[in-house]
Amino acid sequence: MPHQVALMIRAPIKPGRAGALKRLLTEMADPAGGRTIPFERLGTTHFARLFVLDEVDGGPDGGPPIPASLVYMSDVDAPVWRHLAALVRVGGAQLDDLFAHCEGWPSGSASAWARIAWLRARRIRADVVYVNTVGRSVAQVHGERRLRQAIEEFLDGKQPEWRGGDPVQIHAAVRRFVAGRPDLRWALEPARGPGLVFRVRSTFHKIGGPVLVLLLSPLLLVLLPVWAVLLRRHERRDVPDEPIPPSRERLHELADLEDHVVQNPFTAVGVAKPGRFRFLTMLAVLRAVNYATRHIFNHGSLTRVRTIHFARWVAIDDRRRLIFASSYDGSLESYMDEFIDKVAWGLNAVFSNGVGYPRTRWLVLDGANDERAFKAFLRNRQLPTQVWYSAYDDLSTVNIENNAAIRAGLTGAGAPTRSQAEAWLARL
Amino acid sequence: MAATLELDDIQGLFARGYGTLRAASFVLARIDDPTAARAWLTALADEVATAERGDRSEAVHVALTSTGLGHLGLPEGSLAGFPDEFTGGMTTDHRRRILGDVGESAPERWRWGGPTNPVDALLLLYATDQAGLNALADRHAGPSGLRAAGLAEVQRLDTAPLAGTEPFGFHDGISQPLIAELGPPDQPGPPLHTVRAGEFVLGYQNQYGQVAESPTVAAADDPGQLLPRTPDPALADLGRNGSYLVLRQLAQDVDGFWRFVDQAIRSDGQADPDAGTRLAAKMVGRWPNGTPLTLSPQHPADDLADANDFAYADADAAGQGCPLGAHIRRANPRDALDPDTGPDQSLRSANRHRLLRRGRAYGDPSDPGERGIHFICLNANIARQFEFVQHTWLNNPKFAGLYDDTDPLVATHQGDAGRTFTVQAHPFRQRVTGLPAFVTVKGGAYFFLPGIRALRFLARLPAAPDKDPSRRTP
Repeated sequence: MPHQVALMIRAPIKPGRAGALKRLLTEMADPAGGRTIPFERLGTTHFARLFVLDEVDGGPDGGPPIPASLVYMSDVDAPVWRHLAALVRVGGAQLDDLFAHCEGWPSGSASAWARIAWLRARRIRADVVYVNTVGRSVAQVHGERRLRQAIEEFLDGKQPEWRGGDPVQIHAAVRRFVAGRPDLRWALEPARGPGLVFRVRSTFHKIGGPVLVLLLSPLLLVLLPVWAVLLRRHERRDVPDEPIPPSRERLHELADLEDHVVQNPFTAVGVAKPGRFRFLTMLAVLRAVNYATRHIFNHGSLTRVRTIHFARWVAIDDRRRLIFASSYDGSLESYMDEFIDKVAWGLNAVFSNGVGYPRTRWLVLDGANDERAFKAFLRNRQLPTQVWYSAYDDLSTVNIENNAAIRAGLTGAGAPTRSQAEAWLARL
Repeated sequence: MAATLELDDIQGLFARGYGTLRAASFVLARIDDPTAARAWLTALADEVATAERGDRSEAVHVALTSTGLGHLGLPEGSLAGFPDEFTGGMTTDHRRRILGDVGESAPERWRWGGPTNPVDALLLLYATDQAGLNALADRHAGPSGLRAAGLAEVQRLDTAPLAGTEPFGFHDGISQPLIAELGPPDQPGPPLHTVRAGEFVLGYQNQYGQVAESPTVAAADDPGQLLPRTPDPALADLGRNGSYLVLRQLAQDVDGFWRFVDQAIRSDGQADPDAGTRLAAKMVGRWPNGTPLTLSPQHPADDLADANDFAYADADAAGQGCPLGAHIRRANPRDALDPDTGPDQSLRSANRHRLLRRGRAYGDPSDPGERGIHFICLNANIARQFEFVQHTWLNNPKFAGLYDDTDPLVATHQGDAGRTFTVQAHPFRQRVTGLPAFVTVKGGAYFFLPGIRALRFLARLPAAPDKDPSRRTP
């Protein structure tokens, strides 16, 4: 099974075309309009989104102006080139419509290779990638959904008959049922993890991080007190935003795109605080968070927040701005509440390097714990995710994990113990 | 810091549900004549029951929608200080999705509060008996009285005499949050149910230790100094001691509910009333007499009819007693909201979404007419409390790790989704499919229940503020 990759392509929009492009995105979001990109036919796309980053004149921090750009983001099963090739093949017409609004798109008679090369040249790598469960492909999610449905229906038929039955025997009967179904028999084999190359690289990264920190530790020990003093000085000087939510029009524009299914996308862009101190702090924090998401929070939860399928932080414009994008279960209100309840410190560490964030202490304290200010901060930086695709918008992360556990409970060679069988049946 | 509540400025509905005032009627009105309405409000402000004393033989309360505040003359700038869910109202496209108000429950079909029959004001009348209520209604909401008040009746919601049982036949209204500041100061209430006043009334600390945002007016617009000032002396606090009141008329298909339950348990074509009651109890989470299934899964118990001192995490984590998707477990998951974080954090999170329920049933069991409940709740943050409970807990098919279950009792699902109810059992679950919606929304609106001083301020607003620039100059 492949691992998942966070793909992002960003292309500057031709002057004056941003409005038309946004209207096109609105059309593409409407499944009845017939202009949607058929992501489901790619087979390897978990989530995808398209949105416009508006032009910034003068630069948010006094830097040079930033032209408007179109961003395509997707969470795909590796390899990326296969995804891009399929995208160009299956969604060529829609891509032509889209990127015709951008500078330099090889349209018309240009080859598929030229288009793929153009897209690859505009790829931006994420600083932090969070994947709910590393190595679980679209095919696996879909297959295990079918498996659970079939088992549930099988059990429905046995509801009165097996009441008071023996859990071990019922488990065995379900396994026989699955084994007898040619379309489900694969489930008796365990799911394969990511490929060897990925695992080797991952192991090096896992060891390399602490080794590097260890090697640098004498230096870090000297620098840390200095950094702490500077941090407190910066934090006292920070100017948090007033906790005022965005205008009604903006709120409605955002809300119109939310809560159509049980999952939602979240996209936001913020401005990094100026100065070298914040620049380096943010860089270090993002590195640390990326290490944590790759090696610690890579199966089922991000510090106990279970509801995120995929998330990423991407620094853009020479690290002057930071994008946060995620696909999550439930409403934005519940998402933000969960953040505050469970990972306020983690969000503080990253977002407090952004202009306007609620005041923090020692990088991780306070900040998001100011509920009103934190919610207003996020809402004020949120962008309309105009086009958004989910390969399984009827499944929560907990559902997906449970489906995988149902399958895993069938793969063992011997019979389960009574309590194992009971725990397994409770998943249904 | 435990602030003292200004009980003489808070409408009494916050402190009590008037268990002894068994008769109640809710009058929904449109404001036709703002000048007359302001005069009416001036007189009414003296009569509105405050939270100060409880021994009453009658009580009157008044609340206003966003349009009502506008008609009274509240400046646009002040209205903008109310949260979007209040000013936008219950019927925007997004709110319909959040609340499940689609299909049969769509606002176009509502008797009141929908696009064609909006309401501005709500008058809540309570008395010890029907005769007292009639007298009170004559005094405050008789046809000539309403007309003199510049109001036109949109709908009058009569209620059934308070009996503690909702139309499906279940003992109701047992679980309520306890307001910390109303209890004895030296004796903290049980953590399971004790919530700070700021969750239900503006101007006090909430469960985050914050004071919720409060709408304001320019101090210059309050020359009589009726309203308390904010830390910013240029602003006066309109929201202080006020609350948001959610009212929804929910028609209940009582026959349909029991018919469905009866059909669902017929495995071999035989009727089995006991099994039917058991399934209905599983859907609710309590036996009809109120006994929590978590405490007594096999049978109701007389001494547990009002029991509310129970939690799920230790006693019933897997839902073998009270199913994971049962109505009461969704409406308040207590300490089992999130198994990962443990019971204490779960309870802390769950208690950030509590509602003070003040609803009353309507309809007559001996009469074939419509029955249901006029659901009323108070909260300080509609999005974080009422809408969250409705969307993230009751209507959410993914609640507690489920797949396609919504609240078996009150979800207003349409189409094929969300029609499953799973009863966790040994050796494996019982799955009930094809649940119809037993509840239909017939009307609804978000109201602001102002403090007494705010009522007096609203009553003295000058006419047509935005068309009269002179009043802006001091």
